[in-house]
Amino acid sequence: MKPPRFRYLRAGSVDGAVQALADNPDARILAGGQSLIAMMNLRLVRPACLIDINRVPDLGYIREEGDGVAIGALARHNEVKHSELVRARCPLLTEAYESIAHHTVRNRGTLGGNLCHADPSSETPAVMIAVGATLVLQSVGGTRAVGAEDFFLGTYETAARQDEMLVEIRLPGRGADGWAFAEISNRHGDFAIAVIATTLSLENGRCAAARVVASGVGEHAARLVPAEQALVGGPVDETRLDAAAAAAAGAVDPHSDSHADAAYRRDAVAALTRRTVRRAAERCG
Amino acid sequence: MYVGQAIRRREDDRFLLGRGSYVEDITLDDPIAHAAFVRSPHAHAAVTRVDAARAAAMPGVLAVLTGEDWTRAGNGEAEGVWPVKDMSGADARTVNRPFICVDGTVRCVGEIVAMVVAEDRHQAQDAAEAIEVDYEEKPANTLTARALDADTPLVHPAHGTNEVLVTEHGLKEETEAALAKAHHVTEVVVPTNRVTAASIEPRCYMGHHDTVNDRYTVWTTNQAPHIVRRYFTKSLNIPEHKLRVIAPDVGGGFGMKLYHYPEEALVLWGAIVSGRPVRWVGTRSECLLGDTHARDHHTVGRMGFDAEGRILGVKFETLGAFGAYESQWNASITNAYHFTMLSLAYDIPAIHTTVRAVYTNATPVDAYRGAGRPETVYQVERLIENGAHEMGIDPLELRARNLIPPEKFPYQTAIGITYDSGDPPALVEKARALANYDALRAEQAALRAEGQWMGIGICAFFDMAGAGPVKMMNDLGAKIGCYDVASVRVHPDGRITVFAGSHSHGQGHETTWSQIAADRLGCNIEHIDLVEGDTDRVPMGIGTWGSRSLSTAGMAVYTAADRVVAKSKRMAAHMLECAPEDLDLADGEFTVKGTDRKLSFAAVANASYHSGDRPPDLEIGLEETSFFDPADCTYPSAVHLCVVLVDPETCAVTLRDYWAVDDVGTVINPMVLEGQVHGGLAQGIGQALMEECAYDPESGQYLAGTFMDYAVPHAEDVPSFGLDSHFTRALGNPLGAKGAGESGTIGAPACVCNGVIDALWHLGVRQVTQPMTPKKIWRAIEDAQRAQQ
Ligand SMILES: Cc1cc2nc3c(=O)[nH]c(=O)nc-3n(C[C@H](O)[C@H](O)[C@H](O)COP(=O)(O)OP(=O)(O)OC[C@H]3O[C@@H](n4cnc5c(N)ncnc54)[C@H](O)[C@@H]3O)c2cc1C
Repeated sequence: MKPPRFRYLRAGSVDGAVQALADNPDARILAGGQSLIAMMNLRLVRPACLIDINRVPDLGYIREEGDGVAIGALARHNEVKHSELVRARCPLLTEAYESIAHHTVRNRGTLGGNLCHADPSSETPAVMIAVGATLVLQSVGGTRAVGAEDFFLGTYETAARQDEMLVEIRLPGRGADGWAFAEISNRHGDFAIAVIATTLSLENGRCAAARVVASGVGEHAARLVPAEQALVGGPVDETRLDAAAAAAAGAVDPHSDSHADAAYRRDAVAALTRRTVRRAAERCG
Repeated sequence: MYVGQAIRRREDDRFLLGRGSYVEDITLDDPIAHAAFVRSPHAHAAVTRVDAARAAAMPGVLAVLTGEDWTRAGNGEAEGVWPVKDMSGADARTVNRPFICVDGTVRCVGEIVAMVVAEDRHQAQDAAEAIEVDYEEKPANTLTARALDADTPLVHPAHGTNEVLVTEHGLKEETEAALAKAHHVTEVVVPTNRVTAASIEPRCYMGHHDTVNDRYTVWTTNQAPHIVRRYFTKSLNIPEHKLRVIAPDVGGGFGMKLYHYPEEALVLWGAIVSGRPVRWVGTRSECLLGDTHARDHHTVGRMGFDAEGRILGVKFETLGAFGAYESQWNASITNAYHFTMLSLAYDIPAIHTTVRAVYTNATPVDAYRGAGRPETVYQVERLIENGAHEMGIDPLELRARNLIPPEKFPYQTAIGITYDSGDPPALVEKARALANYDALRAEQAALRAEGQWMGIGICAFFDMAGAGPVKMMNDLGAKIGCYDVASVRVHPDGRITVFAGSHSHGQGHETTWSQIAADRLGCNIEHIDLVEGDTDRVPMGIGTWGSRSLSTAGMAVYTAADRVVAKSKRMAAHMLECAPEDLDLADGEFTVKGTDRKLSFAAVANASYHSGDRPPDLEIGLEETSFFDPADCTYPSAVHLCVVLVDPETCAVTLRDYWAVDDVGTVINPMVLEGQVHGGLAQGIGQALMEECAYDPESGQYLAGTFMDYAVPHAEDVPSFGLDSHFTRALGNPLGAKGAGESGTIGAPACVCNGVIDALWHLGVRQVTQPMTPKKIWRAIEDAQRAQQ
């Protein structure tokens, strides 16, 4: 199938784009089109109007912002993947990119579009929550910043209103000392069956803070707080790894589909938790 | 000599530079209209209302057509190419795949209910959406394993059963007796998963009716254009001489593009009704759903061994999928091709199999690369693997004890087929050396001690390729003559056009047919062009499928070229005043043996057309045709070996190594052969590890409608293959060549699955069904460990 009719508007600026969003209540932003166009071709979504932001100048930046990184809405996956700045300040995201999509998809797809798409199996939301990223949304009424943890609300559902455009992603500087990402998918580059992104800090050999974030096993990416609690306060040893893995498995309520059943996903969460926590703790050293 | 050389494929410039010409690329003087289809969203439903009024009034719409219109137009039905009778002698309960729903019932998701023809593709799609159809859902079953259960809904209630036909083959009493006296009996449930070819080019058709000359043309993504021409005599009642079928460049067929699909008949009908050429280009989703699916056998097998691990007998009970209807060839897959190879590469004294072909509410099943034999190898080899482990005999050693020794060829199998030539022990020894088998076993033991799971997969088999002979295939049920044909036309300037009834959609015929012809004609390969795929330019042909083209069409090229040589020698002898026997033909020149008297081939060609000075009984012209009916099928054989690693935490499989040793007889072009083996292996590995045309068992909905849901292997999912070959000569054709197109897909599923079982045997795992995704392996380990507690 190919898409039904739609109107096409090309924005020349962020202001123009958000004005167009305000003027066209059934419009959607078109970024890299790697998710949106496929869904339109399948006629799963039928926006009456697309607002193309690809010609908006200076929106693809990746730059220092304090000790963190600011990423413009048009930065392509591959630009983020290969950014030395991102690697230095948010290596978890760089590591996650090893599992995200394929070269040609990453050449066009944007990190911003990926986050707004909010696929429940996507890797990037888990990373954003694990590092404590902030998403900047703009509408004709102004801008607001939403923490990643509050941004993902459900399958294809985010805190961004219809009239809001995501303009920037802010990654904090290296807060945690250790980090690790792991995923299971049926094929490399596919959407995940289960993802765990972990960050943690050690003080005097004890875990001082931890974030264990899962994707692919619920409506949206989310922290597995019981697993984090199982880690904080003590050394990251086999006992605590087991406890965290068990807590992680208990904290998810995964679905079954043709790729994997719920029980397997739960076990995978445990295995990936153990794997990422161990590696994150090693990296603290 | 060109034969045997790894000549670069002559067609590749065109393909690599994006200059191929596929059905979607064809332009015509008249503007081309587009078709779109309304398809059933239900697995089984009564169609209670079709209202096209709104759609018909939409912009650009030229025609809206339904099953009622089809019937009113007097159009017909598809017809099986290869019907097989039930063992009772009765005809099978065949219900042919309809082109469009004509009887008010849809029996699988995707069945066509209506067609729109419009000026452009989007208008056609929009109008198709505006057609209102009311359905009354009925109970459905998509699972082959459940097809004959008492409470399973019937797909065709008029037949009172979901059984299409039953056939039995082999030695029933002997097999029972062998199992009864066996020292050890292994039993395994060995189902094969439902997969589809997933060719890169989707199916695509265009139809045109020339009302001035009352001629019809169809451009089609098909492997056998002459058979398409024959199909149309039934579907649209068009006589063969009025229809031209063109299969231009085709981007992958794999058997799946062999049939008279609904859309193919409908676009030409749409063209007749609308008075405009009409094209349909399948979307990936339409193709993953509507292309024929394949495999989907549910089999229980029992194999008996003596105390030394020698196989005494093997017995199978199979339910073979048809899907909702018969696609044109499927009876030949489930009930003719499948059983023939059950002896594989082993000397098995007693074999018996019962195959019940069954209907389910799923897409029709038909041939796909290997067609029936991947199932065969999988079911036999899975039993051998488990038997070896159960008896504590090294799996390769147990196989070696059972191989057919070279001195037993020609070898008559217990299932009835005779293999003309082969040397399985030589293949096994080459594979053992290539893989360094003993070192692999040592590595496996060392890794297992560290908690790592490594497995070695093995299989050894024969294939039946190269159909005909005509009579043998007729006896197996074929209603088409399985010969093939070629003409060699020498032009007056000495350049040559070869016309062949085969069709190349990835096989490289422009290179290999030219290699054969150039050697026979003693000419430069650059002086040869090949024409295929156009029924107006090549009058007859049977097409490319079942690894048959080389041993049929390729041999027709060979014999037609020889006839040209014989005739041209008579003319040359006349011109050089010698006897034809005194002439050699090489490098484009006739030479009188033992002298320096020469004449160019071009001069003789010119004289053949333009000189009145010729032998009195020699006809003008230099063109010969050969209809080649081979003396036998060909029986290629192979041994595959692989190494898999299973991640103990996530159960993900890594295929680390893969070796294949093939005996394909004479090799025309080693590079083309390697390409065939590589491609086949990748598809077979896909079947083993990730591909599945899955249906929701409750709703009957299709779950594999995009490439996000139907996983085919990427380059990084397959290892670099280690290939070797061993030569024994095929006896059924003058070149001694055997087919090479299907070995990869036939062997790889069994080999990879055996590797995974070998890796997990110590955990208590005895079977994991395909595709062996991480979740299934994880589940199998869980179940095995629970059972051991
Ligand atoms: C074969 C394939 C494999 C893939 N594999 C993966 C994978 O493994 N992991 C993964 O995470 N993703 C994967 N993807 C999806 C990919 O990451 C997409 O690029 C991404 O989801 C969307 O980014 P885009 O720029 O293409 O957005 P678009 O497709 O243009 O838009 C996606 C959605 O976001 C909205 N949107 C886009 N930009 C903005 C904005 N600035 N403000 C507000 N709304 C906006 C759009 O309106 C639309 O609803 C895959 C895609 C393909 C085709």
